Amino acid sequence: MFPRQSRTETVDRFDWLSVSYLLGALLLCYYLLPFVSLFASQPLGVVAQRLTSPTVLSAATTSLSASVTSTAIATALGLPLAYWLARAEGPRKTLVTAIVVLPLVLPPIVSGMLLLTIVGPETLLGRLAAENGVALTRSTAGIVLAQTFVASPFVVITAKAAFERVDPALEYASQSLGKSRLTTVRRITLPIAWPGILAGITLAFARAIGEFGATIMLAYYPRTMPVQIWVSFTTLGLDNAFPVAVVLVGIAVVTLVVLNTLGSNPFE
Amino acid sequence: MLELTGLSKTYSGFAFGPVDLTVGDEVLSVLGPSGSGKTTLLSLIAGTVDPDVGSISLNGRRLDGRPIADRETGLVFQDGALFPHLTARENIAYAAIDPDRVDELAATFEITELLGRRPPTLSGGERQRVALARTLAADPAALLLDEPLSSLDAPIRRRLRGELHALFADLDIPIIYVTHDQRTATALGDRLAVVNDGTVEQIGTPSRVLSQPETRFVASFTGTENVFAATVSASTDGTTVRIGEFALRSTETVTASTVAACIHPTQLTLQPANAADGEVENTVSGTVVQQLNEGTEYRLLVSVASLTEPLIATVRPSTGERLSTGSTVRLTIPPDAIHLIE
Repeated sequence: MFPRQSRTETVDRFDWLSVSYLLGALLLCYYLLPFVSLFASQPLGVVAQRLTSPTVLSAATTSLSASVTSTAIATALGLPLAYWLARAEGPRKTLVTAIVVLPLVLPPIVSGMLLLTIVGPETLLGRLAAENGVALTRSTAGIVLAQTFVASPFVVITAKAAFERVDPALEYASQSLGKSRLTTVRRITLPIAWPGILAGITLAFARAIGEFGATIMLAYYPRTMPVQIWVSFTTLGLDNAFPVAVVLVGIAVVTLVVLNTLGSNPFE
Repeated sequence: MLELTGLSKTYSGFAFGPVDLTVGDEVLSVLGPSGSGKTTLLSLIAGTVDPDVGSISLNGRRLDGRPIADRETGLVFQDGALFPHLTARENIAYAAIDPDRVDELAATFEITELLGRRPPTLSGGERQRVALARTLAADPAALLLDEPLSSLDAPIRRRLRGELHALFADLDIPIIYVTHDQRTATALGDRLAVVNDGTVEQIGTPSRVLSQPETRFVASFTGTENVFAATVSASTDGTTVRIGEFALRSTETVTASTVAACIHPTQLTLQPANAADGEVENTVSGTVVQQLNEGTEYRLLVSVASLTEPLIATVRPSTGERLSTGSTVRLTIPPDAIHLIE
């Protein structure tokens, strides 16, 4: 009834596992070597000195304040949408998810062009805002608009996954104990989903602070760190662009540390 | 009192109802196979699903259309649905109207030692105790239980079943206990409702439903595995039932000429063919075609000439082990064990 000969006796002896490790190691080297090269070519003392220059400090301040603001907006607007998506079913959910993903798959520079058709100086919205003293381009508001467009899907998609992992039975149980939907979300759903939500917020912040394509279309000034890197690179060369790049690399590393500390790295 | 009137709900591919049901301060066990509508019934009452048509009222107050939180229906889920980020104490306190009741309920359910632990560290039985304590802490006006024992090991299930029986006796509220386990349903229910395909097939006391099934489905689902199409004719003492070539006597009387004759496997008496002495009423000969040792009993399939399906009998091990496959046996069916469904 059963084969008497082991199947392993007939299989190919070629060690595919070692080959796959080797291929993976090659890719890892490709990731790591630029970092090693960056830090090797830039003496820490020189980097630290350049970091204190007014242009770098100004770019860092602009980037941080705009990123915090856009991340806060993305969280405030993204969490309700993420919760709705997690609990919705049917074609509406598919359609809305596709809309949310759109800024992720769109080239950032195209996102910037699209945003200009809505908030550009010649548009209705742009003019109305300008008349009320708020410039939607060439301003921190422009940076925030660009960053929110590009980074907010990270909050929505990651938080949606976190909400989906909360068993709806827990929410029903809470409500059957006499608690309102709002209380249930506040005391049951959010605390359980929180590590995943925080991961989404962290990713959105990292994406926002590194945003370049859409930002440069909406706000060349005030300069963010990525724009400053571009300007330094095109005008003064690679060496002058590195100090700000080091700051961004530092932020990326901190992001990874935060994600792993939360214990719910969405990429795991 | 919980009253359901004309309650129905249609999903794609499944229709529930219409169901009319009244549950007083009693335990109604709802028994049925997977996908029969048991959980839908609870969901409609609890408010997690809205009915298409019909009304639900609890102690005279309409529930349909109200939010879940405003129904006062305590729900106990199969896995307890405890909040994983809260300790057992916090789970109960979350629901407690009176904070002093947390310790009181913990003592009742013998979980005082567990109050500081989080749900993932609790066993299945411990989780269900905490879930029950949490549900009762909210002081519900009706209790809805969705297979709370089904995921537990048999010994813990038996123990908790006994404890639930004692607990339910002290609760003067409508209790609906959904299960696919017949033993639990009959042990806990003052009444038993058998559901199938979205409708209540039969409702009554457990002993009545088991001994007098009104439909073929209820008969087969509650363990009366021998169901045969039969023609009947009146006799002086009950009814003569003709199944295949055999004419058997049933003590029941019916008006229809064709019926389903139901015989519970435990009601059949089997003897080796050579051990039989004298003529015994309702006795037929057959051959054992399968012998299964099920531990506490033997299950025998006996092929009888002119019957399309073998008769199924469950007998004590002392009898069953003597009747191996191929044995010729004599089956005796007591007249009062032949139940007729018109």
